[in-house]
Amino acid sequence: MASVLWLQGGACSGNTMSFLNAEEPSVVDLIVDFGMDLLWHPSLGVELGANAQKIFWDCAKGDTPLDIFVFEGTVMEGPNGSGRFDVFADRPMKDWVNDLAAQAGVVVAIGDCACWGGIPATEPNPTASTGLQFHKRAKGGFLGNNFRSKMGLPVINIPGCPAHPDWITQIIVALASGRAGDLALDELHRPQTFFKSFTQTGCTRVQFFEYKQSTMAFGEGTRTGCLFYEFGCRGPMTHSPCNRILWNRQSSKTRAGMPCTGCTEPEFPFFDLAPGTVFKTQKVSGVVPKEVPEGSDHLTYMAHALAARVAAPQWSKEDMFVV
Amino acid sequence: MSTVDLHVSPLGRVEGDLDVRVTIKDGVVSSAWTEAAMFRGFEIILKGKDPQAGLIVTPRICGICGGSHLYKAAYALDTAWSTTMPPNATLVRNIGQACETLQSIPRYFYALFAIDLTNKKYASSPLYEEAVKRFAPYVGTSYQKGVIVSNKPVEVYAIFGGQWPHSSFMVPGGVMCGPTLADVTRSLAILEYFKREWLEETWLGCSIDRWLENKTWEDILAWVDENESQYNSDCGFFIRFCMDVGLDTYGQGVGNYLAVGTYFDPELYKNPTIEGRNAALIGRSGVYANGQFSEFDQARVSEDTAHSFYEGSRPLHPFEGETVPIDPEKGRKMDKYSWAKSPRYDIEGLGNIPLEAGPLARRVAAAGPNATSHQDNDPLFLDILNKIGPSVMVRQLARMHEGPKYFKWVKEWLSQINLHESFYNKPEELPEGKGFGGTEAARGSLCDWIVIQDGKIANYQVVTPTAWNIGPRDAGGTLGPIEQALVGSPIKDVEDPVELGHVARSFDSCLVCTVHAYDERTGKELSRFVVNGMV
Repeated sequence: MASVLWLQGGACSGNTMSFLNAEEPSVVDLIVDFGMDLLWHPSLGVELGANAQKIFWDCAKGDTPLDIFVFEGTVMEGPNGSGRFDVFADRPMKDWVNDLAAQAGVVVAIGDCACWGGIPATEPNPTASTGLQFHKRAKGGFLGNNFRSKMGLPVINIPGCPAHPDWITQIIVALASGRAGDLALDELHRPQTFFKSFTQTGCTRVQFFEYKQSTMAFGEGTRTGCLFYEFGCRGPMTHSPCNRILWNRQSSKTRAGMPCTGCTEPEFPFFDLAPGTVFKTQKVSGVVPKEVPEGSDHLTYMAHALAARVAAPQWSKEDMFVV
Repeated sequence: MSTVDLHVSPLGRVEGDLDVRVTIKDGVVSSAWTEAAMFRGFEIILKGKDPQAGLIVTPRICGICGGSHLYKAAYALDTAWSTTMPPNATLVRNIGQACETLQSIPRYFYALFAIDLTNKKYASSPLYEEAVKRFAPYVGTSYQKGVIVSNKPVEVYAIFGGQWPHSSFMVPGGVMCGPTLADVTRSLAILEYFKREWLEETWLGCSIDRWLENKTWEDILAWVDENESQYNSDCGFFIRFCMDVGLDTYGQGVGNYLAVGTYFDPELYKNPTIEGRNAALIGRSGVYANGQFSEFDQARVSEDTAHSFYEGSRPLHPFEGETVPIDPEKGRKMDKYSWAKSPRYDIEGLGNIPLEAGPLARRVAAAGPNATSHQDNDPLFLDILNKIGPSVMVRQLARMHEGPKYFKWVKEWLSQINLHESFYNKPEELPEGKGFGGTEAARGSLCDWIVIQDGKIANYQVVTPTAWNIGPRDAGGTLGPIEQALVGSPIKDVEDPVELGHVARSFDSCLVCTVHAYDERTGKELSRFVVNGMV
């Protein structure tokens, strides 16, 4: 089956940790049952010494066929375009990325950092970090808008901070089993099968959203209401399957009372974390959310909200997720 | 007699990739240099941002310790804003922090550390075949079980925090969740599964209570031989393997330890303050240097940048800390060699000295004097240190000892949650303040210092366990803890110096290591290999 090389640039290893949480298939299943040939991985790699170095160079020179190149973390271009903020095995990591991407059948960016720069690229972007084929929402990134892998595909982006293990494993299995042709990507190169839906799709608070009933406090306050109105939840504006494919097989942030921070979108962390923006809904005239659900506008939103509040049944104003 | 220079590159994550250079004389490491090879600039990003930005940003410093970063970032704000914490919130935070560590214990041990025990160097050991059967990557019986079961404790984290890694559900004044009965019962069931499937059946071969009866090194040795189940458990086997191949004989380190402690008694930390912190801890803080215990005081911490790629002329306390990077090309000409700063701790009579952080440091602190009734009081590892000294093996055993202990604590905290009481008190978001938050990540002491001015972050400094352990030399030329631990390691084969990997990995520094070996006189590269470190 497919050969996979996984490297980390300006990364926290969160996507690797997330990947290790996978079941069906687990990382062990992928290798033992699916025969994934994991050439090397920073935390799982077996080969030592000359053998490990040889793997990188053999792939970079095209001597070993590299079916899937997985990259986690930003590409660091600083200081002054040298890449010396991130040196790996005696070379700036950006040089490895350049060489390996050129030889790979498919290039997969795992997590926001590799997709579009993520948190390290937040203003003032001290390391001159960027993503593989996007910088935030702008096309280009490190490899450039015209980059295509040997299979003729752009970089496949699996965003999230971190990406959910199933998004990673299912895409790897799809690629490795010859289903690359089934992958429909959106304009941000995300597989639509996961990222067409909204984070809100399947959220247990969606009935409160329907009747515009707000959560008013954290803690026990999250036993009722929707987090969109006061706590900056980005569930209606964010594309992810977080409430379709649960986290750690148990829950999701919004289910557990934490507002979605929009981490599958290129702007994460939103507003560059400016004072007054963390866990707080940005509002116009102190009332109307500055950002309304995707595809809506302020006027229709307000009309809808007014009607919804009138229609709100009593239960929507009470606790639902009770002891 | 040969003299060899080994260049270890890279060795790192969290602080970034780390390179280690080692000089070997007559088959023994004579000096070492740890070089963090990546800079990400989180402290720079946080400047001028929303005071709560650290709750989102600092977990992303380390995907392995994200919950620990969140935990201390929340307490830094609690102390800065003088919040009032409902006991339930303290309990849920404790549970989250401990579950992250319970995940790390088997994941680190099997995926990152134990696969080295299958190195061909040990082929002549009578235990080698069994080590391969258990620990070989992907296919080892215990590897498979341990790596998969490590998912379970973080399922509990997800029940309260929504997901692991990278939730931000701990906020000043409490936690975001309002758990239900099923959240608590399901957590209990998941933890029981973890205990049954791995902790007792595979790791210990006995009940956790039986293991926790061990108070001395002799107790441990007797425990191994007590019955077949314990003798053949992964723990029993690991101890026998270490003593057979000599992992109990090197990797000593500085012999001075730091634990900032973690987990609070819910009744004793309702109003989190820096001053009240030590007394409220369950997992105790403490400094142990030159055989003397002293109380941990955050004011005694400083960071030296003499050999780090940063500007700065003198060690600074983190409240005054600066993070101004220098291009390594320029920095190397100034004798700088690492992106890590060198954390130091001021001890009367000893000055600013390096301290080892990690599970062994925690276990030493747990044996210190003056424990109160709610605090961990456990003499085992001070006894082990006094009897056989620190080593790669002892560092591992300290880490694994926390599995049974934390399991019991989490169950106790779950039982104390009062579902009908509060989980959050909305704080006043003060525009000015200074805060300190600390915890024990799986791999050691982790602290934030925050200065809030005019409603935004004026300064934010994070000191990680990896920095404590891998930090380079300071202005006085004193080696950092891993640098010192590498010194004295016997290297049997410079082509494959697995011993360096053992030492580096025994600190569980979040590191990936490539080792380059050079002959000191000819400069000829002898070998180059990757030490699978990381988490």
